[in-house]
Amino acid sequence: MKIDKTQELLNLASELRWQVGEGFHDTLIEGIYADAADIAQKVEIKQGSVPKFSFERQLDQILTSKRFGFPIMILVLSIILWLTIQGANYPSGLLSTLFLEIIYPFLKSLSSQVGLPWWMDGFLLDGVYLALGWVISVMLPPMAIFFPLFTLLEDFGYLPRVAFNLDSAFKRSGAHGKQALTMSMGWGCNAAGVIATRIIDSPRERLIAIITNNFSLCNGRWPTQILIATIFIGALVPDHFSTLLSTLAVILVALLGVGFTFLSSWMLSRTVLKGEVSTFALELPPYRPPRIWSTLYTSLIDRTLIVLWRAMVFAAPAGAVIWLISNIPIGDQSMANQTIDWMDGFGLFFGLNGVILLAYMVAIPANEIVIPTILMLTVAHLDLLGVGVGDGVMFELDSAAQTGEILRAGGWTLLTGINLMLFSLLHNPCSTTIFTIYQETKSWKWTTIASVMPIVFGFIVTFIVAQLWGLFA
Amino acid sequence: MTLSFIFLNSTLKAILLAILGLPNPTFYMSLFLMLLAASYLLVKNRISLQFIWNPTAAKKSLIEDVLKQLYHVELSQRTTDLKMLSGALDVPLKRTVRVIESMHKQNLITSEDAHLALTNDGRSYALKIIRIHRLWEKYLSERTGFDKSLWHDLAEAKEHQLTAAQANELYESLGRPRFDPHGDPIPTELGEIIEIISTPLASLGVNTIAKIVHIEDEPKSIYRQIIKKKLHIGSHIKIIATNNLKIIFESEGQIFEFSTVVASNINALALNEQDIYEQNKIRLSALNVGETATITGISSECRGANRRRLLDLGFIKGTPLEMEYAGPNQNPRAYKIRNTLIALRNDQADLILIEKK
Amino acid sequence: MTELKACDSCALNNTAQLQKLGINVDNTDFVVALAGNPNTGKSTVFNALTGLKQHTGNWPGKTVTRAEGGYSYENKKIKLIDLPGTYSLLSTSQDEEIARNFILFGKPDVTIIVVDAARIERNLNLVLQILEITDRAVLCLNLMDESKRHGIDIDDRTLSKELGIPVVKCSAIKKEGIPELLKTIHQVATREIICQPHRISGLSTSAQKMVEELEARVKQHYPALPNSRWIAMRLLDGDQHIIDALKNGEFETAISL
Repeated sequence: MKIDKTQELLNLASELRWQVGEGFHDTLIEGIYADAADIAQKVEIKQGSVPKFSFERQLDQILTSKRFGFPIMILVLSIILWLTIQGANYPSGLLSTLFLEIIYPFLKSLSSQVGLPWWMDGFLLDGVYLALGWVISVMLPPMAIFFPLFTLLEDFGYLPRVAFNLDSAFKRSGAHGKQALTMSMGWGCNAAGVIATRIIDSPRERLIAIITNNFSLCNGRWPTQILIATIFIGALVPDHFSTLLSTLAVILVALLGVGFTFLSSWMLSRTVLKGEVSTFALELPPYRPPRIWSTLYTSLIDRTLIVLWRAMVFAAPAGAVIWLISNIPIGDQSMANQTIDWMDGFGLFFGLNGVILLAYMVAIPANEIVIPTILMLTVAHLDLLGVGVGDGVMFELDSAAQTGEILRAGGWTLLTGINLMLFSLLHNPCSTTIFTIYQETKSWKWTTIASVMPIVFGFIVTFIVAQLWGLFA
Repeated sequence: MTLSFIFLNSTLKAILLAILGLPNPTFYMSLFLMLLAASYLLVKNRISLQFIWNPTAAKKSLIEDVLKQLYHVELSQRTTDLKMLSGALDVPLKRTVRVIESMHKQNLITSEDAHLALTNDGRSYALKIIRIHRLWEKYLSERTGFDKSLWHDLAEAKEHQLTAAQANELYESLGRPRFDPHGDPIPTELGEIIEIISTPLASLGVNTIAKIVHIEDEPKSIYRQIIKKKLHIGSHIKIIATNNLKIIFESEGQIFEFSTVVASNINALALNEQDIYEQNKIRLSALNVGETATITGISSECRGANRRRLLDLGFIKGTPLEMEYAGPNQNPRAYKIRNTLIALRNDQADLILIEKK
Repeated sequence: MTELKACDSCALNNTAQLQKLGINVDNTDFVVALAGNPNTGKSTVFNALTGLKQHTGNWPGKTVTRAEGGYSYENKKIKLIDLPGTYSLLSTSQDEEIARNFILFGKPDVTIIVVDAARIERNLNLVLQILEITDRAVLCLNLMDESKRHGIDIDDRTLSKELGIPVVKCSAIKKEGIPELLKTIHQVATREIICQPHRISGLSTSAQKMVEELEARVKQHYPALPNSRWIAMRLLDGDQHIIDALKNGEFETAISL
């Protein structure tokens, strides 16, 4: 009965809709705006001489000009990245001392006093606790610096101008100018970058921005890049040039990431995403003075802590798995060693090795623990004495030189170093990001594409590099 | 606790042993690559492969293509025979002969001498397919982001898949449209069609004022050329010069030049004198920094979400705006409209018509 | 006032509907929604009302998922829902659908519409659309200080008369006008103020006639629906979501016939 009623109503609607023609939407909005203009005219009181918005106009002229637009943008971004990387060093060190050198031994001694069984002690403290400690101390400081700075620019109104300036570049690969911002946000954290794509109101361009965000080198990967570049690339030249060269190498990798962002955006917009609706509109809001304290506070709560929490949730089980595979023997070898031997040949195809592949498999939850895991696995695999803390216990060394020694002992060459840097850029997103992508898209399809595409690129690129290396070296 | 640990331990061991027993990942890698290559080939040759895995559907598609082709032949008052048909559809003659035979049996076509023609049944079947094709093009233009150069091919595939009931549902949800995005009429459910009386551009005389009503999307190469020149359906034009080789006309403040071959794929409706030709109408993209203008409308080529978005932002007939500044690459550009700065890309601004103050 | 009676008796249904939208209404006397264009300082108003520090960005479309907060006023507990900032409710983008569905099906006790005083004409587009859906709204004229700097003042009494809803001048950053806003929200929620919202009248005559014809039919089938005219307009526009909602009987549950 009700169905009939509804159907009858819908039939009438269809009939009338046919009569009214296709332009009804236009008519409707024109009608609304006509009312709006009418009312606005009645209530607006213009007082005396209306000052032109001259300050804003002039600022816009400068910030979007051909001559100054791009240099200012690059300058601002460089300052933010520099502040983040430099500024994070000290608090990161502090946190890591606190978690790994003060609390960790204390917990260890506590557990031996209480008499926890060895496997529980190892599982909880060496596995879960260490992973958490690592993630927090590497991840928290840069995010706590990067996000508030970014948010201040956002509040001021500068970021829409950046999107405006860069739109033509992104348009060429089928993307939206605002992707410049979500990409930059990805340099802080990919999960946060993915969330930030909400500012893109066009469905197709938003998906592009989500799927390609992983090509922004996130702060979990910057330290890996810097360390490996120092060890393998910096060593190629005399000491006083080594910092310069390794810095250049890291920047090159980050730029390669930008290149891959454009390339994959271009590919996506012409293949799987070509049918998604695409619109463009960019409001350039008036400049407003940012409110510094409330920004600091809220961006910490809104972005940093939420992302950190997610990362911790994912990192804790990863720590447990890392400890378990190193301590559960199969035959006369640990699971980890077995797997490493098994994958070593495969890894060599790509100029990598079994240790790296296993480390990336178990460290999916957080890029921060890749290097500690690699070190631990290498030491355990080689059965090196005198370094490391024990099977399944991740560790890091104070000096790059020492780390380099261990890695070289593990059979690493310059090629391994270069390909690790490439693979660190081009592999699946961390599980926090994968989860966030699912949250934002609610689609397994896009989540899968976003997870698989980078690693396919990674294997292709490392394969090509390894084969060329084999030819020429 | 210890027990569960031992349990966990042995389970993990079992799983790992199972994996280790299998060949090296290199094997999987090659397997994966082979699968990838196979699926690529499959997708690429979908249509010819259809004959292998779904011969009935493939035959149905071919019958429908023949019907459509015959309808178009009939409409343009030409004739066709088996050979021409096989050439036009790019199907081997042998297969064409077989399908024509079966269509004869189904009473869809008749033949006089060598000429093939539609029966009434065949015509109404053809119109059904054309209806689905045009509805689907309409759907693609309103609800998806596919580029307009892709609509035709997608609709070519879809027209064989939708049932009449699904087509009706589509028709309702699209608000019972009368024309497809190229300006072609959509046949009704009963197979009625109002073919519009329009003139090919090439046959319009100098100084004629007309409105573009149809841009043919086949052949593709010509359609792409027209798209590239950014000529829009619904635009008013004024013929400036015409001869055997080319036609030059003015529209929305821009001069267009087409060869007669290309121009024969564009149809226009000559306007009466009382229809005002908005000579001052130009495209928003032609506005320079600091200039002001009033919006006179949004082109009918701006559709779906894009059109709604522009309307929401206040790009409405009669609204004054000012071109505020262009970005470092002159695209996008920022316009002040209703006291707010909105940046639009130039291809969007092409679809907004204005009158300079 | 049939809709008044309908809603007094349907308190339970409204609760169910709100819960379906993911709002926990335990310990809540009134649910208040916060709508507005992007860049109108909507989230600043939210913070000023709730004290909760929720991020306020200078970005279109910042709040895509809803932010919630609460406060109490005169012993009434109020739950405030921050809807995504949108230019309109008609384009059916994701954020617009969230905002629209909340006002339509969640039926908040009051909808605060935040407006940038310097850009009132543009903002009225959304205001007029919201007033077609709900008849309990408060207009918050925000950014008054900025607007005055630009030499624009607003005659709030005339505006209130034109729109048929209370208008409060605010400058949320400076906390100016917030007490008045709190009071007005309370008055609308408790029906101390009954709104008689403006209805769109600028349609062409032929379109107007068709809207009326369809509205009459909607009213006939759904007499308790307060926004029949708006439904009629959406149907004429072919809004698939509204059509589906009618078919699924979502409106019936929302209004509890």
